[in-house]
Amino acid sequence: MKIFKKLTVTALTAVIAVTASFAGVAAAADSLKGKITVNGSTALLPLTLQAAKEFQKLHPKVKIAASGKGSVTGPQAVKKGIADIGACDWDASIDVPGFKAFDGQVANKVAVIPFATIVNKNVGVDNLTTEQLKGIFAGKITNWKEVGGADADIVVITRSFGSGTRVNYQAKALDGGDIVKKAKNYKETGSSGDMKTAVGTTPNSIGYIDLVYVSGDVKAVKHNGIAATTDNVINGSYKIWAYGYYMTKGQPTGATKEFIEYVQSKKFQQGSLKKLKFIPIAAMKG
Amino acid sequence: MNGFASTKHTARAQRNNKIATIGFYTLGALVMLLIFWLLFTILSKGLPALRPDFLIKQPEEIDAGGGIGPVLFNSFYILFISLFISVPIGLGAGIYMAEYAPDNKFTGALRICVESLSSVPSIVFGMLGLAIFAEYFDIGLTILGGGVSLALLNLPMLARVTEEAVRAVPGEIREAGYALGMTKFHVIRTVVLPVAMSAIVTGICLVAGRAFGESAVIILTAGLSTSGEMWDFNLFSPGETLAVHLWYVQSEAIVEDARQIADKSAAVLVFVVLFINFVFRFPLWLSNRRKGH
Amino acid sequence: MGAPVQGLATRGKESVTQVSANPKRHGRHLFSNKLFKFYFLFSILALCFVLGLVILFIGKTAMLLFGQLSPADFFFSFNWTPEEDSFGAAAFIVNTLSLTALTLLIAVPISVGMAVLCAEIAPKWMKTFIRPVLDLLVGIPSIVYGYIGLTVLLPFLRRISGESLGDGLLAAALVLALMVLPTICRISDDAIVSVPRKYRDAAYALGSTRLQVIMRVVLPAASRGIISAVILGMTRAVGETMAVVMVIGNTPQLAKTLFTPASVLTSNIVMQISNVEFDSTWNYALHMMAFLLLVISFVLILIIRVLGRKRRDAA
Repeated sequence: MKIFKKLTVTALTAVIAVTASFAGVAAAADSLKGKITVNGSTALLPLTLQAAKEFQKLHPKVKIAASGKGSVTGPQAVKKGIADIGACDWDASIDVPGFKAFDGQVANKVAVIPFATIVNKNVGVDNLTTEQLKGIFAGKITNWKEVGGADADIVVITRSFGSGTRVNYQAKALDGGDIVKKAKNYKETGSSGDMKTAVGTTPNSIGYIDLVYVSGDVKAVKHNGIAATTDNVINGSYKIWAYGYYMTKGQPTGATKEFIEYVQSKKFQQGSLKKLKFIPIAAMKG
Repeated sequence: MNGFASTKHTARAQRNNKIATIGFYTLGALVMLLIFWLLFTILSKGLPALRPDFLIKQPEEIDAGGGIGPVLFNSFYILFISLFISVPIGLGAGIYMAEYAPDNKFTGALRICVESLSSVPSIVFGMLGLAIFAEYFDIGLTILGGGVSLALLNLPMLARVTEEAVRAVPGEIREAGYALGMTKFHVIRTVVLPVAMSAIVTGICLVAGRAFGESAVIILTAGLSTSGEMWDFNLFSPGETLAVHLWYVQSEAIVEDARQIADKSAAVLVFVVLFINFVFRFPLWLSNRRKGH
Repeated sequence: MGAPVQGLATRGKESVTQVSANPKRHGRHLFSNKLFKFYFLFSILALCFVLGLVILFIGKTAMLLFGQLSPADFFFSFNWTPEEDSFGAAAFIVNTLSLTALTLLIAVPISVGMAVLCAEIAPKWMKTFIRPVLDLLVGIPSIVYGYIGLTVLLPFLRRISGESLGDGLLAAALVLALMVLPTICRISDDAIVSVPRKYRDAAYALGSTRLQVIMRVVLPAASRGIISAVILGMTRAVGETMAVVMVIGNTPQLAKTLFTPASVLTSNIVMQISNVEFDSTWNYALHMMAFLLLVISFVLILIIRVLGRKRRDAA
């Protein structure tokens, strides 16, 4: 019995010593310190938060604070110096319809975001062409029967100005077409979740959202006959998608640089990013 | 009060009284029903699935099963900071307005200004906090910033409720105190405040409830992330609170059980506010019992 | 709450009659009197400082608007199309006033009625039951109200009105009324309770029914507190954002019916302020709208107070 006890103690001590030495090695590696503030797009927020969590585990001395209120607040905060990284659903260093370029900022690609047109599950239509979408969102087509559905008024639900989702949807799906502003059956929501709830609970409604959120009471319609799936985005047949960017003032340095590189690293892209249903940058061809 | 000349024990007056009584009770019943239905909707969706470790676990982005541990702690911490700042100043200002301020047009205008301040949307206080803490002091998104901005938001209501509560104290008991030779502050402390205390506590409860459920201010000043540790007392860490987390989960989160987390968080929020109300009112109730009410 | 007076003579650490007899204690009292006077003064100055800070913060950016746009264009134009440089806020102003009026119309009778019920009519067991339940209502965060409004109220309104989209002033007013109910009710409750018993006793002694006592004696006596309660409730309603945004539709048009998707000053500010560039006319316009909210509140409160004082003087 005594020998057994002695053996166990020796074995345990050995195990502890070995693990401690590994931990010691790991602890020595993360002498990186700093504070990073990320502001901007709410679509990229889950990505940022997950990356921050993982990054802080690897580098405990780095503190990352994230917030989000709309894509344009990202580069704005960077410009004002309030944030180190501005998450934005478009490249803010060039002009984009509705927004002037933010000079001096560098756009770092971090993810590919697919978007989809969604309708309430009571809508019978499951394919819409660019022309039809343009007509619906411009307020010219007002009844579902004009596009092959039942005889019911179309309720248009859209995102507010400044939303990256809206900017990209307008550019890619509506081909730059207008979105109606004042009408009877028209409503604006402030976030993806609200959009999903609104379309899900309002019969005969149509809206648009990140593909990531599509489930439950909303269904995605095909665009020009192509289904909205990540595979179709990757092979180039489905056109409604955009890059997500981290904007920084000039080239990123220090902890900020490490963080962005972590988000762009193969490990994160093929791992957590994919699990969050974004598409890795590397998957896009050209 | 000139209605007395026409007060009559007529059958009509009695009948009106009875009808009114029925009317009031019906109103009460309907409102209670509505509130119960509301609470039932919120709690029934959230409580059944609530497990104790939900209250301690970290939030998850990818996998289902995340908890609200750090955000719940932040909620209390920020609430405490904001009350710590707003209650003394609000009460002090209210007492000043009621007891020391001269009764002239300037005071009247000041009173209306303070009330108008309550109508400023909370998001403006968020922007103010952002301008002060993130821009001017350059400390980023912090618990301190969130607490102070929240305090600024609640200050007007506290001041006004206190003022009204103190004003409602009958002049005679004050005069009795002065007649006995007490100093003004002594009168306030021992005579006026105890009588006004119940109404002041109502104000504090209303303000605390609002602070606990406030999201716009915190999103802008304290951020949407936490430092990741459970009992983080550092004033300068980012401070996502439960209400903000609820907003996030409802609006942007991708995790599968987002709706359930939102429902559970809402249930927890309602519970905590009830608890806060109880904590504030219990001492009052005890002292009322002792005084023989 | 007239009862506590009996306990006052014997409460406190020293008997009140001995105040001047002990010079040391008296000195202490004089000192603390001065000290606390400074503390109260400091508090009110701090409050004024905060007031000034907020007004400066909003006003500074708001005033920049009139360097780029004429006041007439801003206040009287119904066309809010910032993308085309059209910044007419008239629709929002009218909508804000309509929404506030509608909310108060729904909330005040119900709240004051509940307060009367609690303070005057209900038996004790009911009182201890109703009050905490009302307090619970305060604890529900605005986002939850918004979500319930979106998922329960809107489909309900859609069903009874036949509209395709139930959003609009009515939905927002109902949600807001529910949100300000506890505020107005509880503060009115406290005001009614603090009316001295002898007023009621005198009225009963003259043979009034309970209804007459309430309507002719208690409510007028408590009117000051009730008016404050209504004002606080109104300002809370005017400044509420998260819940309103979810059920009002956020369309920059004048609300001609109860069910037209519309937008008020607050909802417009919330939806857009985070998304506009700092140095743009749009941003200035939004700040001006926030400033306008302050001014509108001020005016509404002034009106309510003047009307209240007239009624009381006449009473």
